[in-house]
Amino acid sequence: MKKIIVENLKYKYPLTNELALKGISFEVAKGEFIGIVGKNLSGKSTLCQALVGLVPHFYKGSYGGSVIVDGLQVLQSEISELAHKVGIVFQNPFTQVTGAKLTVYEEIAFGLENMGIQREEMKERIDDALKLLDIYQFKDRNPFDLSGGQMQRMAIASIIAMKPEIIVLDEPTSQLDPQGSEEVFKAIQNLSKQGMTVIMIEHKMEKIAKYSDRVMLLHDGEIIDFDTPQKIFSRKDLNDYGVTAPVFTKICKELEIKNEATGLYPITLDETYDLVVKYNA
Amino acid sequence: MHKIEVRNLHFSYENNEEILKEINLTFDHRSTAIIGQNGAGKTTFVKLLKGLLKPNTGDVIINGINTKDITVAGLAKYIGLVFQNPNDQIFKNKIIDEVMFGPLNIGQTPTEAKENAIKALKTVGLCEKIDENPYDISLSERKLISIASILAMDTEIIIFDEPTIAQDYEGKERIKSIIKDLSAKGKLVLTIIHDMDFVAETFERTIVIAKGKVLLDGTTREVYAYKDVLNEAYLEAPNVTQLCQCLGVKETFLTVEEFIEYKKKDRI
Amino acid sequence: MKALSLYQERDTIVHKVDAISKLLYIGISIAISMILPYKTVGLACMGVSIILLLIAKVFKKVIPLIGFSMIILLSIIIIQGLFRAGNKTPVFHIVNLIFYKEGLLFALEICIRVINILCAFAILILTTKPSDLIESLVRRGLSPRMGYVLCAVLQIIPQMITTMETISDAQRSRGMETEGKLSVRIKAFLPLIGPVVMNSLINTRERSMALEVRGFSSKTHKTFLNQEQNNNYNKIIKIILILLLLLAITWRLFI
Repeated sequence: MKKIIVENLKYKYPLTNELALKGISFEVAKGEFIGIVGKNLSGKSTLCQALVGLVPHFYKGSYGGSVIVDGLQVLQSEISELAHKVGIVFQNPFTQVTGAKLTVYEEIAFGLENMGIQREEMKERIDDALKLLDIYQFKDRNPFDLSGGQMQRMAIASIIAMKPEIIVLDEPTSQLDPQGSEEVFKAIQNLSKQGMTVIMIEHKMEKIAKYSDRVMLLHDGEIIDFDTPQKIFSRKDLNDYGVTAPVFTKICKELEIKNEATGLYPITLDETYDLVVKYNA
Repeated sequence: MHKIEVRNLHFSYENNEEILKEINLTFDHRSTAIIGQNGAGKTTFVKLLKGLLKPNTGDVIINGINTKDITVAGLAKYIGLVFQNPNDQIFKNKIIDEVMFGPLNIGQTPTEAKENAIKALKTVGLCEKIDENPYDISLSERKLISIASILAMDTEIIIFDEPTIAQDYEGKERIKSIIKDLSAKGKLVLTIIHDMDFVAETFERTIVIAKGKVLLDGTTREVYAYKDVLNEAYLEAPNVTQLCQCLGVKETFLTVEEFIEYKKKDRI
Repeated sequence: MKALSLYQERDTIVHKVDAISKLLYIGISIAISMILPYKTVGLACMGVSIILLLIAKVFKKVIPLIGFSMIILLSIIIIQGLFRAGNKTPVFHIVNLIFYKEGLLFALEICIRVINILCAFAILILTTKPSDLIESLVRRGLSPRMGYVLCAVLQIIPQMITTMETISDAQRSRGMETEGKLSVRIKAFLPLIGPVVMNSLINTRERSMALEVRGFSSKTHKTFLNQEQNNNYNKIIKIILILLLLLAITWRLFI
C-alpha cells in the first residue's frame, strides 16, 4: 500500500480566481525521499499543506480530487487525526514555537498532551526525539533562547515525537545560517535513514540532488515531471520553469560531460569530480 | 574622502561582553559582502554604520559625517538599509505610497519622490502592481518592494540585510542585476549574507567577521582561497570553488562561467 | 527572553502549595472579612497574609505595591475623615480642618480591606508560576484553548515589544525622525502601529497552523506532562480553608 496517493487534486484558495493546484496526481512509497522544486508560487507549499489537511480544513476554499495519506482520506479527516500520520515543518522557526511553554522539554510535550498520550510514554518519546535531533542538552532552556538552527530542530523534534511515518518540510533552512542549515539537513538525513518518508521543498538544488530518491518539478500548479534527480536536472528546459540545476550539473552541461552509462549529467560534487577527472585523462 | 570610514570601533551592549573589537575599515566603491557565522557581530556592525547604534569607543564616519553627530533619520539621506524582513517595514496601503515614504522623509518633493518611486518599481519589476496593497502580494515580491523603497531614496550607500532569503532563482538573478547596476553607477553596495554562491557571483570584496573581529578582508577571489580560515568561521566556499579545490586546480574560481572558460581553453 | 510575569522563584513551603489552594485562600479571606466586618477580623486576615508573604520571602516585592495604594488610601482617609456624613466626634485638627473619629474609623476599615485583598492576590501572583496556575485551571475544566491563549500571551508580548523596536529602527532608517520634541515622537508612533499589527496577524496565522498540526483541535481527552501536586498536604489546606469559612458563617448567623 503506497504511503501517499494523490489523485487529480485541485484547489483554489478563497477569494482568488485561479486554481493553485490544477489536477495533481502522484504516489509516494514508504521510505522514499522526495524533493519538490519549482519557482515561487508554483504550488509547492499548497501541495505540502494538502498532505497534512491544512488544505482544505484550515483555509477552506474549493477542493477537488483526493489525497490519501497512510490510508486516511484527507478530505474526510481532521487535521489532528492526520497529525498521527504526517507532520509538517515550516520555514519560520519562530512561529512554530507555541509560546505557552517555558522549556524545550515541555514544548515538545505539547503535541503529545493534545493527543492524550500517557505520562510515561510521553517522557520516553520526548527523550528519544531530543537525542535524535541532538538537542538533548537544551532540554531545560527557554525555547525563545535557542538559535535559529536549534529552534528548527526543536520544531522537527516536536513533530517526530508524535510518531508520524511521513514528514513534510517546507524550505526548512531558508531562514538559517550555513551552520544551522547543515544541522537541519543532517537531522533530516538521519530520519530518512531510519525509514521515515520525507517530502522536502528546497531551493538549494545541491541538497535536493544529494538527498532525494525522486524529484518533483512543479510549475503553475501542475506537475511537469516526477523522476530521479539525474533525469530532472539533466532536462534542458529547467530555466523555462524558473528552476536551475545544481552547480555541478550546470558545469557538466556546458562542458558536455555526461555519465556514459546513463546519458545523464552528474548531480553531486563526488560524481562530478570523478567524471571531470576521467574527462581530463 | 572615503565613503565609509570605521576607526578603532569597539562596541558592547550595556557593558556586557564586547561584540565588536578594534574594527578598522574603509569602504569606497567596491561592492562588499560581509560574511560570518550568526552571532559574530555582522548585524551589530551594520546597525553601527546606520547610526542605529553608537560606538562605545571609536568612530563611524559616513561621507565625512560622524554618526555620533547626527540622528538616524538625518543620516538616511546618505545611507540606506534594506531590512531582512519586509513585514518589519511596510505599513502603507498602496505600494506606490510605501515606496514614496522614504524619499519624502529625506526631503524630495512629491513630484521627485513619485518619479523615483516609479523608476525603482520598474527596476524591481513590479511596476504593474503600483496601486495594490503590499500585503496582497507574495512574501518574495514584498521583499522586492522593500528594496524598491530604498532604491527610490537614491542614497550613495546601500546595505542589504540577507537579500536572497525566500527568493527563488529568478528573484535572485533580479537582485544580482540590481546590485551590479548600482555598483556600475558608482554607488557603494554592502550586504550581510549567507549565500556563498551569490557572493562569489556578485561582490568584488568580501570581509569575514568572526567573534567580533575582522578575520579576512580582500577581493572575493582572495578570501575564498583561504579554505581553512573559512572552515574555522563555519563558512564554506561556493560550490564551484569547492569543486576546483577538490580537483586540485590552483586558481580560485568563483563562478560556473569562469570555470567553464578555463576548461574550454584547456581543451584547446 | 523574559516571560511577562511577576513570579519570584524561591524554595519555600508557600511556593509548594498548589495554585487552586491559593485561589481559594483569596476568595475565603475576602469572604471572611466581609462576613465578619470587625476590624479585629480584618487585621487578623491581613496579619496572616503578611506572615505568609514573609515566609515566602516575597514581602519586599509587595511593599512598593502597598506604598502605591497608600496614595489612594490616604485620599480616602482625608476625605472620609473630613466630610463623611454623620461625623460627630472631632479627634484632631490641622489648621482649621477638623478630622472626625467616625470618618477615620470608616476609612481605616476600607484600608484594611484593600490591603487584605492586595496581599492575598500577591501571595498567588508572586509565588505561583503562571503556567502552573493555568494548567490547574485547565485540569478542572477551563478550555485548553483559553489556557493556551493565557499562557502564550505572557511570552509573546515581550516578543512583540522586540519586534516594535526593529520596526522603529526600520522607519528611522527611512528618514522618519523619532528623536526630539514630544510632538515629533508622537508622530513617529503612528507608522509603527501598521507593521506591528500586520506582523502579529501574520505570525498568529502561521502559529495557528503550527498548533493545528500538533493536534491543538483534537477532541481527545488531554493528558499532562507535569504531575499535579495534589498530595495530602494540599488537601488539608483546602479543608482548613473551607472549615474557616463555615466557622465564619456560623459565627455571623448565631452570635
